[in-house]
Amino acid sequence: MQLRDIAFESLKRRRGRFAFVLAALMLGIGTVVALVSLSRTMQREVGDQLDRFGANIVVTAKSTLLGLGYGGIDLGGVTVDVQDLQVTDAERILTIPNRRNIAAVAPKLIGTTDVGGKQVLLIGVRFEQERRVKSWWEIRGQAAHAPDETILGSEAAAVLGKRAGDTIRLGERPLQIVGVIAPTGSVDDRAMYADLPLVQSVLGRPGVVSLIDVSALCRGCPIGDIVSQIATALPHARVVPIRQAVAAREQAVIQMTHFAYAVSIVVLMVGALVVMTTMMSSVTERTQEIGIVRAVGFRRSHVARLVLLEVLAVSLLGGALGWAAGMAAARLFGRTVAQLTSPVPIEGWLALLAVVLGAVVGVASGLYPAAKAAAMDPTQALRHL
Amino acid sequence: MALVELVNVQKIYNGTSAPVTALRGVTMSLDEREFVALMGPSGSGKSTLLSIFGAMNPPTAGQVLIDGLDVYGLGVERRADFRREYLGFVFQQLYLVAYLTAAQNVMLPLAAAGVANTRQRAMAAEALDRVGLGDKLARLPRDLSGGEQQRVAIARAIVNRPPLVLADEPTGCLDGNTGRSVMELFLSLRDAGLTIFMVTHDATIAGYADRIVAMKDGALAEATAFVPPVAATAS
Repeated sequence: MQLRDIAFESLKRRRGRFAFVLAALMLGIGTVVALVSLSRTMQREVGDQLDRFGANIVVTAKSTLLGLGYGGIDLGGVTVDVQDLQVTDAERILTIPNRRNIAAVAPKLIGTTDVGGKQVLLIGVRFEQERRVKSWWEIRGQAAHAPDETILGSEAAAVLGKRAGDTIRLGERPLQIVGVIAPTGSVDDRAMYADLPLVQSVLGRPGVVSLIDVSALCRGCPIGDIVSQIATALPHARVVPIRQAVAAREQAVIQMTHFAYAVSIVVLMVGALVVMTTMMSSVTERTQEIGIVRAVGFRRSHVARLVLLEVLAVSLLGGALGWAAGMAAARLFGRTVAQLTSPVPIEGWLALLAVVLGAVVGVASGLYPAAKAAAMDPTQALRHL
Repeated sequence: MALVELVNVQKIYNGTSAPVTALRGVTMSLDEREFVALMGPSGSGKSTLLSIFGAMNPPTAGQVLIDGLDVYGLGVERRADFRREYLGFVFQQLYLVAYLTAAQNVMLPLAAAGVANTRQRAMAAEALDRVGLGDKLARLPRDLSGGEQQRVAIARAIVNRPPLVLADEPTGCLDGNTGRSVMELFLSLRDAGLTIFMVTHDATIAGYADRIVAMKDGALAEATAFVPPVAATAS
């Protein structure tokens, strides 16, 4: 019979008390597992949604600004070596190594045109891709799909005196106004959106685009890597991340993560407190037993190890069961409360962490009771009633 | 030859209102293979003296030598090792661990010593067989009679083959016949080479000892030689 056998027999004898310890650890570890799993899945979903909410990379033509000055007098500058972006460059963006992180590529040609004697900002787009990078648009009417359709910004529609259902001429081509964008407070309000090849033809710039908006998913690949890869694919282009979009996404997920961890720590501490008080009660209950074993030759260290072996055994089980309960709760609440679109995944590392965390919390909580048990005077303990 | 020597042992407890002197300069010795009984009224210091014998209660002054070793010169953990190797304890309240079987209770001192499991089982079986309980290894204490439980406690005390056994009112919870059978067992252990020091308030039980020591108010009173009842009947 070894110390672990005595500990095991003691656990079998005091099932009720150790069930209480087990429940406290299960609750603490389960809460940690549920919160961590849910927050990680929500991070992914929210992050992806934010990534799709507008472009976070802009590709423009690379150019060199030649500064002009003489004798300390600045005479301005001139842009030289402008290399036009081509619409084929949009396809090349989809060949980068992290192409799976690209949610949308929206090339556009920007110019002005005369419509009914009025100058209008004209933007040639691929309607489907543009809707992906402008997912916040509210269109009164419907979105455009066909080359003979167009949508107007709210201010453009007002200036032109047009509404959804009217017809407008772009060059020689009649276009059906299928929708008007609700006010956005941006330059979109003043623009007329038409099919890209048509606009390229009207503006006399076949195959050319002014810029390419890219919506990249930052999960699993830092935005810097994607920018670098696009720059390699398009050496003649200037590739710039939109810092505000990236920073906002990161801030949102960081806040979610911090909240989950803070709640987890509080719950674990409460669980540890329950474990410690229950073990203290158990040690007091076993005062006479401790006196017996000390009298027959158990060292203080043996007594401490006995107590810690008991709490370790319960803690390992509590960690494992807590993981199972936490995953079940995460999957249930993820589907019903958080309304996640995908189930919370089962990750092996979290199971291992749960067991280890349970053991660490349990043993740490048992240190004080173990020390108290070891310090008991055997003569006093034997007189304990 | 003296196995145990107490030299001017004193014990003073810090009472709630004033210090309490439990032992006043006790000097005594036990020889090997001697069965000594200590008698005295309640509060005379018997339990204190026994706990000092048992390396569990450091004296305020004086020296305790067992087999030539200054017991209280050892550290706390080494004293625990010493108890395991040199001493066996038999208590009035038996103090068996309720959730361990008879054999497991007997193995407790061996578990602390780190003895291999197979060797533990063999030694426990031998000790229980020696006290007449060789067929009750797997019984829990609640399934044994009072006398059988005391025999288990005696088996636990001798499993490590210590030279000295300390007994505190070993028949206190037993009826007359059972108490006498326990004393017969003590005598057989004495004959096998153990030294036994027993505290009792029962003169009949004390009569089984080779020598009776009396205590009063923390000091030894005049010791008396006493003829064991078995020898008296024969003569």
